[in-house]
Amino acid sequence: MSTTTANTTPAAAEPVATPKVEGPWRRFISEFAESKLALLGLIVFVIIALVAIFAPWIAPQNPYDLAQLDIMDGRMEPGTVGGAGFTYWLGTDDQGRDMLSGIMYGLRISLLVGVGSAVIACAVGASLGMLAAYAGGRTDTVIMRLVDLQLSFPSILAALMILAFLGKGVMNVVLALVIVEWAYYARTVRGTALVERRREYIEAAQCLALPTRRIIFRHLLPNCMPPLIVVATMQIARAIALEATLSFLGLGVPITEPSLGLLISNGYEYMLSGKYWISFYPGIALLVTIVSINLMGDQLRDVLNPRLKK
Amino acid sequence: MKIGIKAAVLAAVSALATGALSPAQSQNLTMAVGAQITSLDPHYHALSPNFAVATMIFDTLVQFDADAQMEPGLAESWKPVAPTVWEFKLRPNVRFHNGNPFTAEDVAFTIDRVPAVPNSPSSYAIYTRAIERVEVVDPVTVRFHTRSPYPVLPNDLSQVAMLDRETHDKASTDDFNSGKVAIGTGPFRYVDFRSGERLRLERNEEYWGQKPHWKAVDYRVVVNDSARTAGVLAGDVDFIDQVPTSDLSTLKRDQRVKIAEKDGLRIIFLALDHLHPEGSPQITGHDGKPLNKNPLLDLRVRKALSMAIDRQAIATRVMEGAAMPAGQFLPEGAFGHVPGLEAPKADPEGAKKLLAEAGYPDGFRITLSGPNDRYMNDGRIVQAIGQMWTRLGVRTTVDAQPWTTFVSRAGRQELSAFLVGWGSSSGEASNPLRSLVAGYNRDKGFGTSNRGRYSNPELDAKLEAALAELDDPKREALLQEATRIAMEDVAIIPIHIQKNLWAMRPNLRHESRADELTRAQDVRPAEAAR
Repeated sequence: MSTTTANTTPAAAEPVATPKVEGPWRRFISEFAESKLALLGLIVFVIIALVAIFAPWIAPQNPYDLAQLDIMDGRMEPGTVGGAGFTYWLGTDDQGRDMLSGIMYGLRISLLVGVGSAVIACAVGASLGMLAAYAGGRTDTVIMRLVDLQLSFPSILAALMILAFLGKGVMNVVLALVIVEWAYYARTVRGTALVERRREYIEAAQCLALPTRRIIFRHLLPNCMPPLIVVATMQIARAIALEATLSFLGLGVPITEPSLGLLISNGYEYMLSGKYWISFYPGIALLVTIVSINLMGDQLRDVLNPRLKK
Repeated sequence: MKIGIKAAVLAAVSALATGALSPAQSQNLTMAVGAQITSLDPHYHALSPNFAVATMIFDTLVQFDADAQMEPGLAESWKPVAPTVWEFKLRPNVRFHNGNPFTAEDVAFTIDRVPAVPNSPSSYAIYTRAIERVEVVDPVTVRFHTRSPYPVLPNDLSQVAMLDRETHDKASTDDFNSGKVAIGTGPFRYVDFRSGERLRLERNEEYWGQKPHWKAVDYRVVVNDSARTAGVLAGDVDFIDQVPTSDLSTLKRDQRVKIAEKDGLRIIFLALDHLHPEGSPQITGHDGKPLNKNPLLDLRVRKALSMAIDRQAIATRVMEGAAMPAGQFLPEGAFGHVPGLEAPKADPEGAKKLLAEAGYPDGFRITLSGPNDRYMNDGRIVQAIGQMWTRLGVRTTVDAQPWTTFVSRAGRQELSAFLVGWGSSSGEASNPLRSLVAGYNRDKGFGTSNRGRYSNPELDAKLEAALAELDDPKREALLQEATRIAMEDVAIIPIHIQKNLWAMRPNLRHESRADELTRAQDVRPAEAAR
């Protein structure tokens, strides 16, 4: 705690920060940037996100278009020039899919699933958690027991069962992850909201006879945000890993539209034969993505946690 | 001096490693197989891993040799004595493991028991259904009376393990699994069975045929491909089956193992929807709207789809050489194989022309389904064909599913095109013709696996004539004609015939079987060959 205090002073002394009293955003940014690792994580994540978003324009091949794949180019080593005329920098998988393009598109799915499921789960979980905290009594009990029930299940097992029921597909994976993850958000929000709702500003709002909806969303929710953001960041990384696991087990995405997990799974069978690149590079991409998000998440937790502040 | 000691130690160690522990000298054999044994009851579940075990403990009247040709088993000879009567002469002086003699009475008992096994998930009764009654002439002569002339009875009986009336009367499937009545006439005796794990066997010293080399056999079930491969590389097991093709090229170069391969009897093919004239469930135009007719009913479309497939590329790239491109059901040498009916050559240009002639110059959209956990590289083959069809203009969505989901959907005729396989257990052509392309007719047992519902009266007539023809050359000619009709009409699109693969320590020798069975009696030390 003392280090944080010591470090704020030089940061405040920097010329950019001096002119006015620091705004909350500016302070947040400068505190976040204190950790070089977190900054690195952010930069890497932004690059990964850009690659994922612009994959259809920058990837040499559309790995999901079967007409562009050629089985004769299958399992080529990194750096080989294929039949289509361009170089497979990271090699090809067993179907002749360019690994570089495959990873770019795979990142797209991973991020879509990770961020998408985190946002939806956050909305659902936060609403329910808030409701539980504000309404109390029986509502609280019912929601929180549901949360307990959900958390007592290993998430991979629950996701496997849901997907076995729903079938394959990106949207089904998102849905399964939402069902698995909302409970984390609900529990976090409820804890914070329970504390916040006894604060004076809520009492004041209640005295003004503001509608409940307004109190919850305009007063309570913004004050519960910091822990929520931290949980959300961590859960994105978890969701990406979970999606990769499900795809690895053959339950996630269709085989012609591989995500990182499925790419790893495809190559796994060739590991013994020394064709490392089919699994290795998607694995690295997955690792880097998750680590960069976690680095950001760690620093966010430090910055946003009031107890760690002066 | 120092060097001398070193050399001596080295020699001793290597002797230990290669000599003393080698299976050839220890007379113990450890095998790892990739498929589960679901029961030791030889009449409970018709599945080749179960049958492989059954033929180690039990015997059949007629046996298949490694090339799926019939040879005498517990029967020394057989012949039809009337159009609907087969007479089998039994091998005299054969005894069960518990000392009971094997007689004609036991054959009659076995035929009665086969359809009566309760809760059978896939009954062996299909092999005894043709038999109306069994007549015991004397202890070594038995006559089978069939409802109609039935030339393939010896083929069918090659799948039926013989039991003992005295021992197995009222024996339940559980009694077999517990080992209580796992008593046959086969080359090995039961020692111990743990379901899903391993089966232990010992040599039957009184076996009537060629005695197996191994005194003790440890027959393990190792479902995971990598674990099985690693097991034989590390020397934990002496012999494995179902070598994954992804490791094939590496293993072939590895000195620690030897690969055995054998052309199988299992054909991998695409079935097409012949049922829905008003439009196939998974075919649409490029705009996503359903077509008002089923393009697959047009022979030119079917031909185009077949010609678009580069079977050689699939065999070399996807299967790593463990497949033979196929143009018909059975490989050369099998009864009913049509000489000269080759696998269609890949011809994308010709295929495009045919498609245009049929009125689909721009192609259409189709979903190609298949299992992803059943046949060698099934998911990969489906994807590769998806590539080839998409390049033709037939935009293909690939849907690979777990076998259980897939097969129930295919059985409900919900799919337009799908990959399946068929192992011709009887080793002759009437089997695939009857099951795969004969018009669906439950009562006759026709088209039971004809999930695309192809139907051609001309073919059915040839097949029925063949099934009633007792004269072998005439029957074969009829079967060849029927096969030719099916292939020229593209009833199914044959892809390839799988090769079966085994890997073993270099000092072993395997008499590899076309029918995929992995059995301890087929493995011998390599030295014994010379």
